[in-house]
Amino acid sequence: MINKLNAFLTFALVLSALTLVKTQYEGRRLFIELERARAASRQLDLEWTQLQLDQSTLGKHARIDSVARRDLHMLSLTPERTQYLSAEAK
Amino acid sequence: MTRGNTHAARVATGKGVPFCKSPMLSVKLPSGRSRFVLFVLFVAFASLIGRALWLQGISNDFLKKKGESRFAHTINMPATRGKITDRTGQVLASSVPVKGIWAAPEEVLQQSKQKLRELAKLLDMSEMDLLKKLDSDRNLVYLKRQVEPEITDKVAALKIEGIEMRKEYKRFYPQGEVMAHVVGFTNAEDVGQEAMELAQQKSLVGSAGSRRVIKDRLGHIVEDIAAVREPLDGKDLVLSVDSKLQYIATTQLKEAVEKFKAKAGAVVVLDVKTGEVLALANYPTYNPNNRAVLSGQQLRNRVMTDTFEPGSTLKPFAVALALDTKRVTPNTMMQTAPGRMTIGPATISDSHPHGVLSISQVIQKSSNIGTAKLALQMPAQELWELFTNSGFGQQPKFGFPGAVAGRVRPYKKWRPIEQATMSYGHGISVSLIQLARSYMIFARDGEIIPLSFQKVSDPPQGQKVISAKTAREMRAMLESVVGPEGTAPKAQVPGYRVGGKTGTAYKVVGAGYDKRKYIGSFVGIAPMSEPRIIVAVMIDEPTGLFHYGGDVAAPAFSAVTANALRSLNVPPDSPITNIIIPTDGVQESM
Repeated sequence: MINKLNAFLTFALVLSALTLVKTQYEGRRLFIELERARAASRQLDLEWTQLQLDQSTLGKHARIDSVARRDLHMLSLTPERTQYLSAEAK
Repeated sequence: MTRGNTHAARVATGKGVPFCKSPMLSVKLPSGRSRFVLFVLFVAFASLIGRALWLQGISNDFLKKKGESRFAHTINMPATRGKITDRTGQVLASSVPVKGIWAAPEEVLQQSKQKLRELAKLLDMSEMDLLKKLDSDRNLVYLKRQVEPEITDKVAALKIEGIEMRKEYKRFYPQGEVMAHVVGFTNAEDVGQEAMELAQQKSLVGSAGSRRVIKDRLGHIVEDIAAVREPLDGKDLVLSVDSKLQYIATTQLKEAVEKFKAKAGAVVVLDVKTGEVLALANYPTYNPNNRAVLSGQQLRNRVMTDTFEPGSTLKPFAVALALDTKRVTPNTMMQTAPGRMTIGPATISDSHPHGVLSISQVIQKSSNIGTAKLALQMPAQELWELFTNSGFGQQPKFGFPGAVAGRVRPYKKWRPIEQATMSYGHGISVSLIQLARSYMIFARDGEIIPLSFQKVSDPPQGQKVISAKTAREMRAMLESVVGPEGTAPKAQVPGYRVGGKTGTAYKVVGAGYDKRKYIGSFVGIAPMSEPRIIVAVMIDEPTGLFHYGGDVAAPAFSAVTANALRSLNVPPDSPITNIIIPTDGVQESM
């Protein structure tokens, strides 16, 4: 009787030990994955900042102004060439 | 056989006595001696066990710490400085991680000449400079700070021993010199040095975090061992400025300063409804991304930190007070001939004698005599109170570093001549932003509101200074100034009704006025039917043909206002789309 119990307990112990190893491994693997995801998120944040900067640099009014005038030969708006539409007269 | 022999020989060496019969064994030692040895051994073991127990169980902190230092590491997590954007969300300042390159001179100097040459080339410095930096007794010297990633990657590829890289942040200002005086800049440590970067340093900077982790042999993070202290990134700052208006103001100002060969100039645009500063431009300016050569002239924020004697732009205040206290009406006539007036020891004069003028015309023609006569009818205290309530001589509360209060002397010390000159803007000093803000009392029907450099969501609480009726009457007078009969027809804006007041003053140099140096200014309100913006322009030391505010500052006002109203989508309130400027305008008095 006692022997059987011992055998069972030994088996249970080994099983628990193996599960522990597996869980630990799984935990570390997931943690590394999390770390990677975090690094990727940081990288994307950085890229976003960079893109915002680029947008601001390229969309600078001084640049738009000079491109419009020089390359596209556009002119400033003047009131005598403007027709204003009021909200009532559709 | 041989074995037998050797045995015999051994016995022989033992003097023929077998071991078991050795006399040494038969010596009877006192029994206490062996027990003593046993006891000593026991004590030795016991002390070892005791020590082991001590180290393992009771006093194990020290060893635990030693062990932990082998695998546990604390990682600093720096916070990113907040972005600064304009009111439309366009980025004006943003931090990007870069690296600072450091070197241990001893190790680096052992590298081959070839590698050092390549390093110098990558860091954009001569080999001599590099060697000079490395010629140091210190363990670590910095070679270059804030190096961009493309270059640090190449430096790392050189694999030079003794080169170390540290994470730093570099702040970029995509709008460059256009926004320089509003946004300011930070130093190499990412600490704000000027303007809003300095004013909002606390909220922009955030706080660094840290985490404690276990690293494996290869340096990978395996586990967090303590709660992570997340870094708190700095708050983003939304400014009240509109980058489009700011660009318009900057280019028009630059044009005016260059055209009139002036030393400097400044423009400020305010939102009448919210008190927001929509644009603030200075010329000369600087590029905050490249501050290798910076002069004080470029750094100077003339709108905020310079005071000047405003001249005639102050006349509307004395006139408004006279109207408000019902001493006169806009149509009251007064004699300004012969254009000269002696008060005590001094004589003041108009540039041209005007004869009999109505109060409206005093403003329109900018008559010193008219304004001074009005001012002398009123008690000094009332005038002082109006100046003070309009913000002159008061420490501004804009949250902008270096903003000055200007100077209004206490009324009890005013002599009549001072009261007279002060009414037309001499003997009183103000900053351009104070001057622009004070015109709120005309634009907002008598109310003045606080200014803000940050976007405002709730309409601010105003303070009543003059009655709405007076404000309206004043607006009509200001509008007449830009008419063909006024001092500033060049301030007209096609399609819109605008109004304002010119100012021309000699510069104060030392104790007196320098009669060759002028400051021309113009402060205006637009559109007159429903005021939306106040634009103030100041041109410092124009040296060309023109130097009157109506000639140098008014055209810049017109250009800035025309573009600003268009970009703010303000519907035109005047059918006149072409303006006529008379060839011989009215010259204002100084």
